[in-house]
Amino acid sequence: MGEVILTMKGIDKSFPGVHALDHVDLEVRKGEVHALMGENGAGKSTLMKVLTGIYKKDSGTITYEGKEVEFHNTREAQDAGVVIVHQELNMLGHLTVAQNIFIGREFKKGIRIDDKKMNEEARKLFDRMHIDIDPKETMSKLTVGKQQMCEIAKAISHEAKVIIFDEPSAALTEAEIEELFKIIRDLRDQGLGIVYISHRMDEIKVITDRVTVMRDGAYVGTLITKDCTKDDIINMMVGRVIYEDPKTKNMTPKGSPVVLKVDHLNAGKMVQDVSFELHKGEVLGFSGLMGAGRTETMRALFGADPIESGDIYINGKKVTIKSPQDAVKHGIGYLSEDRKRFGIVVQKSVAENTTMADLDEFSNGPFINKKKEKKVAEKFVESLATKTPSVDQLVVNLSGGNQQKVVIAKWLTRNCDILIFDEPTRGIDVGAKNEIYKLMNRLAAEGKAIIMVSSEMTEILRMSDRIVVMCEGKKTGELDISEATQENIMNMATREIN
Amino acid sequence: MESIKQNPLVKKVGFNRIVLCIVLLLMYALFCILTGGDFFGMRRILSALNYAYFLGFLSLAVTFVIATGGIDFSIGPVMFCCALMSGFCFTMYGMPMPAALVISLIIGLAFGIFNGYLVAYWDVPSFITSMASMNIAKGLASVFTKTQSVSWPQSSQDGGWFRKLVTIGDIPMGLIILIVIAVVCAIVLNQTKMGRYILSLGSNKEAVRLSGVNVKKWEMSAYIVCGLLVGIAAIFFVGAYSTVQPGYGDQYNNEAIAGCVMGGTSMAGGLASISGTIIGVFIISLLQEGIMALGLDKNLQLIITGIIVIVAVFADVVARRRKN
Repeated sequence: MGEVILTMKGIDKSFPGVHALDHVDLEVRKGEVHALMGENGAGKSTLMKVLTGIYKKDSGTITYEGKEVEFHNTREAQDAGVVIVHQELNMLGHLTVAQNIFIGREFKKGIRIDDKKMNEEARKLFDRMHIDIDPKETMSKLTVGKQQMCEIAKAISHEAKVIIFDEPSAALTEAEIEELFKIIRDLRDQGLGIVYISHRMDEIKVITDRVTVMRDGAYVGTLITKDCTKDDIINMMVGRVIYEDPKTKNMTPKGSPVVLKVDHLNAGKMVQDVSFELHKGEVLGFSGLMGAGRTETMRALFGADPIESGDIYINGKKVTIKSPQDAVKHGIGYLSEDRKRFGIVVQKSVAENTTMADLDEFSNGPFINKKKEKKVAEKFVESLATKTPSVDQLVVNLSGGNQQKVVIAKWLTRNCDILIFDEPTRGIDVGAKNEIYKLMNRLAAEGKAIIMVSSEMTEILRMSDRIVVMCEGKKTGELDISEATQENIMNMATREIN
Repeated sequence: MESIKQNPLVKKVGFNRIVLCIVLLLMYALFCILTGGDFFGMRRILSALNYAYFLGFLSLAVTFVIATGGIDFSIGPVMFCCALMSGFCFTMYGMPMPAALVISLIIGLAFGIFNGYLVAYWDVPSFITSMASMNIAKGLASVFTKTQSVSWPQSSQDGGWFRKLVTIGDIPMGLIILIVIAVVCAIVLNQTKMGRYILSLGSNKEAVRLSGVNVKKWEMSAYIVCGLLVGIAAIFFVGAYSTVQPGYGDQYNNEAIAGCVMGGTSMAGGLASISGTIIGVFIISLLQEGIMALGLDKNLQLIITGIIVIVAVFADVVARRRKN
C-alpha cells in the first residue's frame, strides 16, 4: 500500500424521506484494493455517486491527490482520473467494442472518425490487461463478462488513478471472476487505488487489502482484511438488525395444491422451455446470475411480453395470458424489479397507487368513490406499516422501502392469489428489508403463492421453500431448501456457460 | 414565500392559479391605463370574451391529450375543417342548422377517434399523427368546399339563431356554456376512472399497463374527448368570426397549447389543471384584445404567445428537475 490518494470525510446526503449518507468516511491508498461493504441500501452506491459527481453532497469534504475537490459530473471525475465501473453496464450494443471504449472522445482524422486508430488503441488496452477481445466486434455479441472487461478497459483508458468497481461480479461466472481478479491485481500493482463494492464475503477475503463497512447510510469502521474474520465483517454489516430466521426446511403445508403450472414456456432468447409448479402457501425462489432470464420469464408469465409457446395452468385450468390485464384477471400480481419504471406512478398519491389495479371496485359507474379508496389505502398503510404522512402524499416523496409497500398494497387490494416479487428488496434499507421478508412470510402463511426472483444468495436461502435456478434463459435446476447450498445453486447458475 | 405556499387556503386553490389570476388582473389594469380607460367596462370585456370561447374549448381539448403525455397539432385545422364542412352543408346543401351543428361535432369526434386509434393502438407518436391529420383536415375541407370560404348566417338570417349560443343580448351565453363544460371536464379528469387513468398513464404508462389496466382504451379516450371539444370549438369560432377560409387554422394550435401549459398542465404528461387552462386562455385572449386596442401590430401577439409557450414549458422542466 502506498500513500493516500483519496479521502472522503463526513459525507452527508439526504433525499426526501431518506437520510442516505450520515457522515461517512472513506480513505483509499495507492496500490490497494479497498472493499466497500454493507447490506443493500447501506449507501455504498450513493457514496460513490457523490464521489463521481452524480449526486451533490450536502456536507463533508473530498480530498483527492492532496487537494480538496468537488466533481460536478462524471466527466469531471473521469478527467481527474476517478472512474466508476457500474453494476449495470452502460454500453451501446450496436457499436463496436472500440467505438464504445472511446465514445465521446473519438480519435479524428480531419472531421472523420478514425476507426483504425481507435481499434489499435483498444487493442493496446486489452494487451495491457492480458485479455483477448476483438475491438471490431459488435458489443451486443459479447457475453456479459466480456462486456464488463470492455467497461474496465474504458476506465483504464481514462488514465484512471482510482477505479471503483460497483458489484462487478454480479453477472460473472467463476472463470470470468478469476480473470477479473487477475486484472484487478494487475491494476493494483501498477499503483492504482481500487474501490471494490460487493457483498460476496468470499471475494472480499480473496481480493481486498482493507475493508470499510457501512450500515444504514452510516460509517461503521475500517479493517485490514487479513486481520479480520468473516464474522467480524458480518457483525459490522448487520449490527442491530435481527433477520427473519433462514428457512431450513420447506414450510409449505403437505399436500398443498398447485395453483400455478408453467409448461414449456418460450419467449425469446431469454425464456427457453421453462417449466415449473407453484404451490399454495409456498415461496418459490428464482435464483441465477444477472441476465439469466428470470425477469423475462416472469414478464412473459404476466403477459407483459409476448409468449411464443407454452401453456399456463392456474388452479389446474389452462389459461390464456396475452396481456397484464389477463394475468391480473387470473389473480396474478407482479412487483417489478424496477419500481420507479414499472411499479408505481410517482406523481400520484399513495391512495391512487393503492387502487390502481382494482379501480372498478372503487367506482360507482364512471365515478371514483374517493372515501372508500382512502379508507382502504389507510388500512394498508397501517397493516404494512408504511411510513407516510398521509395517503394523499405523492409516492415520489416516499423512500424505496415504503414505495415497495405501496406496490404490495396495490396487489393486496386486488386480492391476488399469486404474487411475483422480482428483486423485492433492491434499493431498500436494511430495516425495511426485514419487514418485507416478514410480510412475504405472512402472506405465504395466509395461503398466497409467492414467486421471489432474487440475485442475492442470502435472500434466496433465507426466504425460499423451493428454489428454481436459471441460466441463459433455461431452467438448470430445482432444489428443495433442505438440500440447497450456495455452492450447488452457483453450480446450476453457471451450468450453461462455458 | 414558502409560508404563503403552505397556507391551507392557498394550497386548496393552488399557488400557480392564484399567481395566474393576479397576472390576469394586472394585465387588465395595465391595458386600462395604457388605453386611457378605453379598455374599462363590461361591454369591452364581453366583446373580448366572444373571441375567447372557441379558444377555451380548443385549449380544454388539448389539455386532455397533453395530460396523457401526447400532443395534438391538428386541433386548429380540424376546428376549421368542422366549421367549413358543416357550414357548407348548411349553406350549399340546405341542411337545417341543428343538423349542421351536429355534423361539426361528428367531424371533430371522427378526427379524435382517428388520432387516438393511431396513437394508442398502433403506437404512432402523437406528434406525427397530429401533423398528418392536420394536413388531412386542411385537404379534406378544401376538397369538400371546392376551396371556397364559407360564411355562417348572421343573427337576422335564417339559421342565425345559433349565435344565441354565444350571446343573448348582454347575457354571455358562451361564457356560461364554457364554464359548465369546463366544470364537466374537471369532474371527468379528477373524479372519474377515465380521468384517473388518463393522468396516471401520462405519468407512467408502463406501470399502469402492468397494473392490468387497458391503457390503449383509456389513452384513446383522451383523444376522443379532445375531438368532441374541437367540434364544439368550431361552433363558437364561427359564432365569433362568421367566415372561415380553407387552408388555415394552424395559428390557433399555439394559442390553445399556450393557454394549457400556462395553466399548469405539464407537457410531460400526468399533470393537468382545467381551471388553470381556462385562466390561461383568458390571459391569451386579453393579450390579443389589448394589442388590438393599443393599435399595435397584430403579429406581436404571435411572438408573445410563442414566448409564453417556451417560458411555461421551461418553468415546468425546471420544477421537475428540482423535484428529482
